[in-house]
Amino acid sequence: MTLWLMAGLLFTPLAWAVLTLLMNFAWGRLVTWGGIVVQVLVSLGLWLIVSRDGGFYYGLGGWQAPLGIELRVDGLAVTFVLLTAVVASACGLHAGVYIDPDKPWHRYFWPLFWFLWAGLNAVWLGGDLFNLYVGLELISLSAVGLVALGGKAGALRASIRYLLAALLGSLAYLLGVALIYGQFGTLSIAGVVFRLEEHAVPAGSGLALALMVTGLALKTALFPLHRWLPPAHGIAKSPVSALLSALVVKASFYIAARLWLELGEPLGSLAAAQLVGLLGSAAVVWGSWLACRQLELKQVVAYSSVAQIGYLFLLFPLTYSVSESVSLQAQQGVTLQVISHALAKAAMFLAAGNLILATGSARVDALTGVSRFLPFSLFSFGLAGVSLMSLPPSGGFAAKWLLLQASLGSGQWWWLLVLLAGGLLSAAYVFRIYRASFLESLETDEFYHPPRSLEVIPMVLALMAIGLGLVSAEVLSVMALPFEEEGSP
Amino acid sequence: MIRSLRALAIIGVCLAFTGVLASSIWTISGNPAPVDLAQLLSENLDRSGVEHPVTAVLLNFRSYDTLLEIGVLVIAGIAGISMAKTASLEDPQLCTSDSLLYALQRWFVPLMLVLAGYLLWAGADRPGGAFQAGAVLAATGVLMRLGGSPMAFLRPGLLLRLGLALGFTVFLLVAVASAIGGEAFLAYPPGMTKTLIVVIESVLTLSIAMVLLALFVSAPVNDAEDPEEGSSS
Repeated sequence: MTLWLMAGLLFTPLAWAVLTLLMNFAWGRLVTWGGIVVQVLVSLGLWLIVSRDGGFYYGLGGWQAPLGIELRVDGLAVTFVLLTAVVASACGLHAGVYIDPDKPWHRYFWPLFWFLWAGLNAVWLGGDLFNLYVGLELISLSAVGLVALGGKAGALRASIRYLLAALLGSLAYLLGVALIYGQFGTLSIAGVVFRLEEHAVPAGSGLALALMVTGLALKTALFPLHRWLPPAHGIAKSPVSALLSALVVKASFYIAARLWLELGEPLGSLAAAQLVGLLGSAAVVWGSWLACRQLELKQVVAYSSVAQIGYLFLLFPLTYSVSESVSLQAQQGVTLQVISHALAKAAMFLAAGNLILATGSARVDALTGVSRFLPFSLFSFGLAGVSLMSLPPSGGFAAKWLLLQASLGSGQWWWLLVLLAGGLLSAAYVFRIYRASFLESLETDEFYHPPRSLEVIPMVLALMAIGLGLVSAEVLSVMALPFEEEGSP
Repeated sequence: MIRSLRALAIIGVCLAFTGVLASSIWTISGNPAPVDLAQLLSENLDRSGVEHPVTAVLLNFRSYDTLLEIGVLVIAGIAGISMAKTASLEDPQLCTSDSLLYALQRWFVPLMLVLAGYLLWAGADRPGGAFQAGAVLAATGVLMRLGGSPMAFLRPGLLLRLGLALGFTVFLLVAVASAIGGEAFLAYPPGMTKTLIVVIESVLTLSIAMVLLALFVSAPVNDAEDPEEGSSS
């Protein structure tokens, strides 16, 4: 059973990428619906199995690590696999209606979409440093292809910039992997941790961790390496922006967090942890401030991503040389932040796409009067905003509450100021959009009404982001499951 | 003044980074790695179906990585042809009508095809394999295109997309089929390892060449563009 679930998870996205490559857009959409059903069922099945029996290692090709590649299927990984299934299906369904099927180059949307999904699953489950690199490459290249798809010079410029930033990040990560391999002779993360437990820390391995984390921070757009993100996320088509902001940046963060949690204690230092936390705080404040000042709707949402990503990096100081319970709180808070931001930001970008479709303009001030014509999309946008502002009972609130407790518990009260400032500033940019939409102009309003299905999808995602706060204990309990260690090297 | 100061600062940072990296590599090379993967590899080599360790790693021990890497190549090919300029990828204006090149081509093309075949076959027991053979095959295609030979398969139709996906599809089918026998994914059934690896390598060669060639011939910018979301046009 597990064998076929793993097969479904890893290989159906790849198979669907090939199938949809051979079809035009409309047929690709039909086939994609089938693939979405398979992926959602398989992710759910795997999640149920892991929440019943606990996690396990899965060796590919019948070879165990360190010779072969092992996948680490644990509670956190299957939670993110399920999150990906939810968000990617929503974006896929939205894109099927949103994207013009008559443009010949849009046939390439589906294969890139499925390759992106395959890469995401590969990263969540990866337990091998080089395999994670390959997963990152799958994600980056298909994301760049999606940003550039059919675009004008502006989109090409943004995507080339994105490509160069992503490649530089990958190369820094790869250099770190090479150093680790030279030192430990294995690429499996579990193998490296095992060596570190047994023996003294070899000299020079701090550099490897620093290189990997820096490269991944560039790919996650941590301040001050964030400048590639707003143009790319702002200019892509809305379902693509939603995928990029909700999932793609999380993949590189996930690897950085896994590395830090496993290797940070022996290889890291207090100064490095505080520095990363400081950069994350700067991202929260600076990103929110810039989001308040943008003239275009999607740029507001994109800068809001820069800010929300900043919170994630508070994981680094809040888990370094603190007590076990504080570290667990911080990990849980960051996990909830990843999930709630993924749901809320996908909802926000999809709703923003509907608003842009309705008003025919990307500018914030063009929203004048839209509140009477498109209340549903505007409401989804606001609900997602509630989670970003971290008001109770949303998932964002639960996440920040846990982070707040972790900062108090570890005596690092200064992160409290960041949490408060970030919440206030995000309220400012969400209300700014609302203010524009409630203004009335004397001119006759002409709005295009997007199909109903386009409006339902962001609403469902936004409701899930809000509801996450109510079920956060259940979601987090899967992460704390026992892990079957016998497969580890 | 400010520019030269900035350049100096950048040079300083680069030098410092190189120094730190070099000292770190120096320390690493001094200590032997605790896991001897090369030893482990040679112990398992006779179970891998090929004699050359690199091919064994690429197509057996770490075949999952290779499968995904081929996926990355296919993505690059897709992204390239999605930005193709014209309906046909063989633009007569881009061909040279150089008679010397044309004459050379008649000598070179058969030679290069033979070389590609040799590299593919050599992969079993010495350096070579699908990636090298595919690169030579793609170079042959580039030469033919510059010389003006018609290559109908390069039109962005079904044939081109089939060619891009062929190697990846066969690899994927083998991966899934290997699980039907009850083994793990990508675990080749015993006795068929050599045959399967040769089949996969051969179709991969074709697809890798196709991706590289498609990237070479697809021109950068699309003439008929999408208006940006929300722009008035």
